[in-house]
Amino acid sequence: MTGLLRKYGLMLKWQALSSKTILPISLVVELVVAFGFVIGLGFLYPSISPNIAKFLTTGAPTISLLMVGLVLVPQMVADAKTEGTFDYIWSLPVPRMVYVAADATIYTLIAIPGVILSLILGAAYYHFGLHVSLLVIPAMLLIVLAGIFLGYSLAHSIAKAQITQLITQVLVFFIMIFSPIMFPAAQLPHWLADVHRFLPIEYMADLSRGTLTDLKVNMGLAFAVVGGWCLIGLVATCILVHRRR
Amino acid sequence: MAAGLEIKGSVLKIDNLCKSYVKGKLVNDYISLSLGYGEIFGLLGPNGAGKTTLVSQIIGLAKPDSGSITIEGVDIIAKPGYTRQACSFQAQTQVPINGLTAMQAIELVGRVRGGNTQKVRSRTLELLHNLEMEEWTKKSAETFSGGMRRLVAFCMASVVPGRIVILDEPTNDIDPLRRRLLWQEVRTLVAMGSTVLLITHNVLEAERAVDRLAIIDKGKVVSMGTPASLKGNGGLNMRFEITLEPRADVPIMPESIQNTTVTGRRVIGRLRESDIASAIQWARSLKEKGLAEEYSVGPASLEDVYLKVVGHGDSPEIPDKEVNHDRIAA
Repeated sequence: MTGLLRKYGLMLKWQALSSKTILPISLVVELVVAFGFVIGLGFLYPSISPNIAKFLTTGAPTISLLMVGLVLVPQMVADAKTEGTFDYIWSLPVPRMVYVAADATIYTLIAIPGVILSLILGAAYYHFGLHVSLLVIPAMLLIVLAGIFLGYSLAHSIAKAQITQLITQVLVFFIMIFSPIMFPAAQLPHWLADVHRFLPIEYMADLSRGTLTDLKVNMGLAFAVVGGWCLIGLVATCILVHRRR
Repeated sequence: MAAGLEIKGSVLKIDNLCKSYVKGKLVNDYISLSLGYGEIFGLLGPNGAGKTTLVSQIIGLAKPDSGSITIEGVDIIAKPGYTRQACSFQAQTQVPINGLTAMQAIELVGRVRGGNTQKVRSRTLELLHNLEMEEWTKKSAETFSGGMRRLVAFCMASVVPGRIVILDEPTNDIDPLRRRLLWQEVRTLVAMGSTVLLITHNVLEAERAVDRLAIIDKGKVVSMGTPASLKGNGGLNMRFEITLEPRADVPIMPESIQNTTVTGRRVIGRLRESDIASAIQWARSLKEKGLAEEYSVGPASLEDVYLKVVGHGDSPEIPDKEVNHDRIAA
């Protein structure tokens, strides 16, 4: 166990140093997006009420975390595959999931500041209060990790980097427009709402709102579904990174 | 280990290894090899011969279709984790070191490979000093040239060397001075107890560096032995070369000159030491008839062996396309 932790620490250092040029840029982009999102709501809805602003702002963490997991991660992994990074890293005496854990830590650290900023800004700008539960930490971690593992397995299951990039573009569209994050599922066509009952996105939004506001959501179901998808992503990642050509 | 010594005990044993990426097309075709403790073993072959595929299976990135690979008796196909500790590897592709300094990259790998912090630090400094890389010690890898990145990759493979150190084209892009220093470090690795598997298509460097070698072509081992034994080729240990006058036809070669190849106006063949005099006499007669411009006789090189066994020629060391003399005569 000590050996694994030591290797995790070393790979974390390696990843942090490798990302030191891209990390601050990613962080700034995340913060700017969070800031822009909150301000942008006012342009979309000029006479927005505090309650609607609260609903929208507390959906933002889900979008922000999914963008890291399902867009940034697959693109970075696809680039790394093209450059032969994994061929080298997998030749080192480090369990592959330890490397994945170090990678996931870095992406989580990139994702979280934007989430916090958007919530603080939104509450201050639109004058609403947040009811933050202690469960917010596991909820946010579960959302971001589910996204990261699903993104990791997506990138490792597709051979061509260009196809991965294309799929991430489609995912952005799907998450932003066709997912019940910023609006209730009832506003979607029935068939799409039914599809979302099996996908984690709506439940991620529920986790976010359930731990940040006093809105009533089925937290047990939300934890179970998002947890299930996180597990699927983790198992798929584990299988894919251990695959030999 | 001196060339030609018998290998006692195998650290790496590959037996009838087959690998295909597309069904029915073998990239490695029943390869069998054995590496002894403390030797430098060269794996030579043209691009696409299957060298990197073979290495990918040794380090556990690829899985063979059939056959076995053992390191010190351990089946590493079943236990790929074992091979990653037993082998340290310099990949042909660039290593992911952007953002790291040379020192950070080398030390990180040393510590990942289980090295003690202080020992890793002193070995890192020693490698950087021996390869005259001190200037780059604390510079970020983004500023490195391709050759410098490759040297750092070599150091990463050597800082805490495995029982087998696999070097895939280690000297590509490296300047001549540091190439020499790098070969000294390869010898140091052997002195430290490692076996070195060197993958290259640089025949001239391999001839000087390796104790034994295998030439691999189209997925098969086509020749194996010490450089001296391969060059000996049943007593045909001399190289004969004649440059024909422009527009002169390729002459019928005397029986004593064998394994001939034609490259432009150059005709190269192999002969026994005892046949040198008659060959020179024949070449002189061609020159007197105005058919040949010049000729030379000398010890055979590994390049000649390589060209002969690989035939189709695809080496950066050999600029001209090789043409088989028998086909020309026909």
